[in-house]
Amino acid sequence: MSTPARRRLMRDFKRLQEDPPTGVSGAPTDNNIMIWNAVIFGPHDTPFEDGTFKLTIEFTEEYPNKPPTVRFVSKMFHPNVYADGGICLDILQNRWSPTYDVSAILTSIQSLLSDPNPNSPANAMAAQLYKENRREYEKRVKACVEQSFID
Amino acid sequence: MDEEDKISDSENQTKPEKMFTLKRWNSVAMWSWDCSTDTCAICRVQVMDACLRCQAESKKDATNKDVTCVVCWGECNHSFHHCCISLWVKQSNRCPLCQQEWSIQRLSS
Ligand SMILES: [Zn+2]
Ligand SMILES: [Zn+2]
Ligand SMILES: [Zn+2]
Repeated sequence: MSTPARRRLMRDFKRLQEDPPTGVSGAPTDNNIMIWNAVIFGPHDTPFEDGTFKLTIEFTEEYPNKPPTVRFVSKMFHPNVYADGGICLDILQNRWSPTYDVSAILTSIQSLLSDPNPNSPANAMAAQLYKENRREYEKRVKACVEQSFID
Repeated sequence: MDEEDKISDSENQTKPEKMFTLKRWNSVAMWSWDCSTDTCAICRVQVMDACLRCQAESKKDATNKDVTCVVCWGECNHSFHHCCISLWVKQSNRCPLCQQEWSIQRLSS
């Protein structure tokens, strides 16, 4: 069965393979194109550097008119990532546009790692440390980076 | 002096120097649709082809294109399949590319 959402996801996958953005990768799971596994490599010159952070992306048949649900599987310590891995990012909620594709989603999340927004915290502790104690923040992030090698 | 001038004049007339010879002419033409993009940014198919939804439902006529699947230009000059943009504006009346309020400038098939 090939619905518009599935066809669009096939195009997203093709684009991701033909024109892969640096530092991110993703592919549909073997038996379901509506569920993807992705990896974001921690951006250079950030405390996330060297980390390999895994995510899942779940699409509905309303894609691309509705954004997918994106969640970190790897443990994260970031002002805009909830304890369950959910991500607080405007383009995945109220500023979603149907012109975004998987490439755009993953690169936006990657830039969120470099530039957290401590004013809309999903993790209050991470937001507070980011603003007030950058050294401790980086220490907690580094612990996640090391954890990301194992799982 | 006068004679010399006459001579050179007559030489110039009888044996005009060739500046260059045109041996071959390759014409290069450029064209584009009169809009800022020719791929529908919503479904990622060329706007002149049927949109993904119409392809999936295969509502095609003889030319392999759904008769109602037309190109829709907004006042901002962005173009999408009419099918694609009309689904989106039900949710948010903004151009998905420039976030301006969406209003239709024209439709064409
Ligand atoms: Zn379209
Ligand atoms: Zn259509
Ligand atoms: Zn526009």
